[in-house]
Amino acid sequence: MTTNKSNSDLEICAFKIRLVVLFAFLILPRLIKAQEIDLLLKGGRLLDPKNSIDSKMDVAVKDGKIYRIAAEIPSSSAKKVLDVSGMIVSPGLINIHTHVYAGSKPGFADGQSSQLPDAFAPRSGITTVVDAGTTGWRTFPDFKAKVVDPSLTRVLAFINIFETGFSAGSAFEPDLNTLDVQMTVDAIKKYPDFIAGTRIGHYKGKSWIPFDKASQAAQITDRPLFVECHMPEYSLEDQLKKMRSGDIITHSFENVSERMPIVDEQGKLRAFVLEAQNRGVLFDVGHGGVGFWFDQAIPALKQGLLPNSFGTDEHRTSMNAGMKNMLNVMSKYLTIGMTIPDIIASGSWKPAKSIKREDLGNLSIGSVADIAVLSIINGKYGYVDSGGNRIEGNQKFEAELTVRAGRIIWDLNGLAATPYTK
Amino acid sequence: MTVNMSFLFNKIAIYKKVYCRFSIGFVLLIICQFSYAQEIDILLKGAHLIDPKNKIDSKMDVGIVNGKIARVAKDIPIASAAKIIDVTGFYITPGIIDMHVHVFQGTDKYSTSVGNSSRSQQADAFSFRTGVTTVVDAGSSGWRNFPLFKEQTIDKSQTRILAFLNVIGNGMIGRFQEQDVNDMNPVMNAHMINRLYPTILVGIKSAHYWGEFTSVDKAVESGKLANVPIMVDFGEHNPANSIESLFLKHLRPGDIFTHTFSEISTGRESVVDEKTRKVKPFVFEAQKRGVIFDVGHGGGAFSWAQAVPAYQQGFYPNVISSDLHDQSMNSGMKDMANVMSKFLAMGMSFQDVVLRSTWNPAQVIQRPDLGHLSVGAEADLAVFNVREGEFGYTDVRKTAVVGTKKLEAELTIRAGKVVWDLNGLSGQKWTIEK
Repeated sequence: MTTNKSNSDLEICAFKIRLVVLFAFLILPRLIKAQEIDLLLKGGRLLDPKNSIDSKMDVAVKDGKIYRIAAEIPSSSAKKVLDVSGMIVSPGLINIHTHVYAGSKPGFADGQSSQLPDAFAPRSGITTVVDAGTTGWRTFPDFKAKVVDPSLTRVLAFINIFETGFSAGSAFEPDLNTLDVQMTVDAIKKYPDFIAGTRIGHYKGKSWIPFDKASQAAQITDRPLFVECHMPEYSLEDQLKKMRSGDIITHSFENVSERMPIVDEQGKLRAFVLEAQNRGVLFDVGHGGVGFWFDQAIPALKQGLLPNSFGTDEHRTSMNAGMKNMLNVMSKYLTIGMTIPDIIASGSWKPAKSIKREDLGNLSIGSVADIAVLSIINGKYGYVDSGGNRIEGNQKFEAELTVRAGRIIWDLNGLAATPYTK
Repeated sequence: MTVNMSFLFNKIAIYKKVYCRFSIGFVLLIICQFSYAQEIDILLKGAHLIDPKNKIDSKMDVGIVNGKIARVAKDIPIASAAKIIDVTGFYITPGIIDMHVHVFQGTDKYSTSVGNSSRSQQADAFSFRTGVTTVVDAGSSGWRNFPLFKEQTIDKSQTRILAFLNVIGNGMIGRFQEQDVNDMNPVMNAHMINRLYPTILVGIKSAHYWGEFTSVDKAVESGKLANVPIMVDFGEHNPANSIESLFLKHLRPGDIFTHTFSEISTGRESVVDEKTRKVKPFVFEAQKRGVIFDVGHGGGAFSWAQAVPAYQQGFYPNVISSDLHDQSMNSGMKDMANVMSKFLAMGMSFQDVVLRSTWNPAQVIQRPDLGHLSVGAEADLAVFNVREGEFGYTDVRKTAVVGTKKLEAELTIRAGKVVWDLNGLSGQKWTIEK
């Protein structure tokens, strides 16, 4: 009996030990978990269009990735907690129309008309920019070494069908024999993570060879063709007809003599424009210096043509004119009646999809922690278009915090700072 | 003979000549005013004007003709102007001078610093949107590469770019090159300033030197030959060199100590004692002696733990500047208006902040033609909105001071041309059709 008893005591004891061990196994990870989050954004309005989220949600970042999204994540579980209540938490914004091959030469290519990405992206909530054809297959490696690799901002590119990209603002006519689909395709295959598609623009000839070759290279590599302006001999209708579903037209809302505007004299969107939209052609703003007019954008918005992306066409002359920065372009759309969720979608998830980078522009668990925290400030603001026309608004986007791969690269008001004590 | 020569090419003499032309121009301008009814090109109406040089701190209209300030008065009639911009509720200041930037942007792949590299930024991308019309590059280039900097950047910029020439011939292309005492050539530096580029080069920069006082002394020698001030970044000595010795024995009155509110564990001695939090007595003495203290915020050179006690004890920087470059632009510095706002947050008056970012730097760099809105001066001016709210201002240690005011550049005018217009004040009105 005693033996039995002591046996059973031992068994109980062993059972207890096992319980403790089991308990420890269950609890320990939680204790470790207690500090597992690197960065916790608390109390913001999360807008994640891909995941159809528009509600108050906490966002947790760990190891540069989105770790957890929940209505309430305890502060004790995070090393750094930022109170972002009253602010919008959005996927890092994507600017698909920039010129960032900045260098010392005159013009855009390796030139002074282009801008350095880190000088304007972080302060506008942007974590990814796409250069629009400033390089071709011959010059992309130089661009990659000088700009793409050293930048904090993720820099991608549409490469030009013209082998050295473009440099001057005006259209030109290259030797058509120099247009090489195979070399363009090879470049894309060599840099698949950096080259998002091909680009056509700044062509003053009548031949459709450049357009077709750019389209062909895009098609072979399963990427979009990005269609810019300064192609006076191509009609808008022909361009749109030649574009495939998923191809992107930019400067969509321009009103210049060089290209027929999308809205007709009666203020109606032209039938072939609607037809192109229905077919899946995507419309980028491409604001730039002369590419955005309220008399196009407002009727288009009312008739259901929302911009798919807010490409700014950032360059030397647009940056200090009516464009200013991407948040200013988004604020224009806020002022003319686009909803906040629609604006965030066209600032993040829609452009990500358009460049076939579904890993970007969303805050799904496990995705790279590229995040923008935005405020909407109230006051009296004026917004000017490319014609010098002004509208008044009472709201404006401001970038509070920009996070790139989990790292804070912009902090307007020191949300992540400790208060100074005297 | 040498003395005569140097006097002939003395910068001051050149400016005297310029001033003579100015006054002749002014007489012509006055005559023109009598002959036309609509003589004013741009009339800024209804703002509060702060012009420290002319001791103006009140509501004033400003009229611009042919890129120059033509009239400053309480009420200038609208009928006299071709374009009227209503700036009621805002402040007009002289165009801001950012006396410490790095804008020698380029693509020299062997440069590891701000000389001819993408670590320097484009002046136009940061100036106008913060009310700045003049920037002074702080030694990114030396006499060997200044001509390239001028051709590549200065000549193509809308912002007025002036420069401190580095005491090192190669400028800032790398830390090791900056130690080369054989590349410190005072005679050549003086030729660059006196003979070759007298309207652009305003001084000499000594920076990032690891030895004793050689770099500073060579800079002063250059400065004496060229009759210009020197600017010193005294931050990379290990152990730190004595700043008392620098201020009282090496620098001349008018020479500039930058990164004033830096507090780093090694390399640079702080102006505020790190234990007692008292401004060191010789610092006051140095300022009294004429040593100029420049903010030069940068990525690592502005600590609240220095700036706040200094401000409270009455030690103010002579000049507020940004030290713009790749490492500072997205950190606590952000832009020049943000750095100015930090001084508002500490309690400095707006008038005082404007003085230290316009007329003071203009005097320091011996450019009395800049930094004020006297009639006849080039029409470089800024219109600021003082935003009210709760704003956080971060230093290099990621500590934040909360302020209730923030400067925002509404409008920037450079030589009479609108180069920044945040809210379209100068644009025409456009109504949305229903």
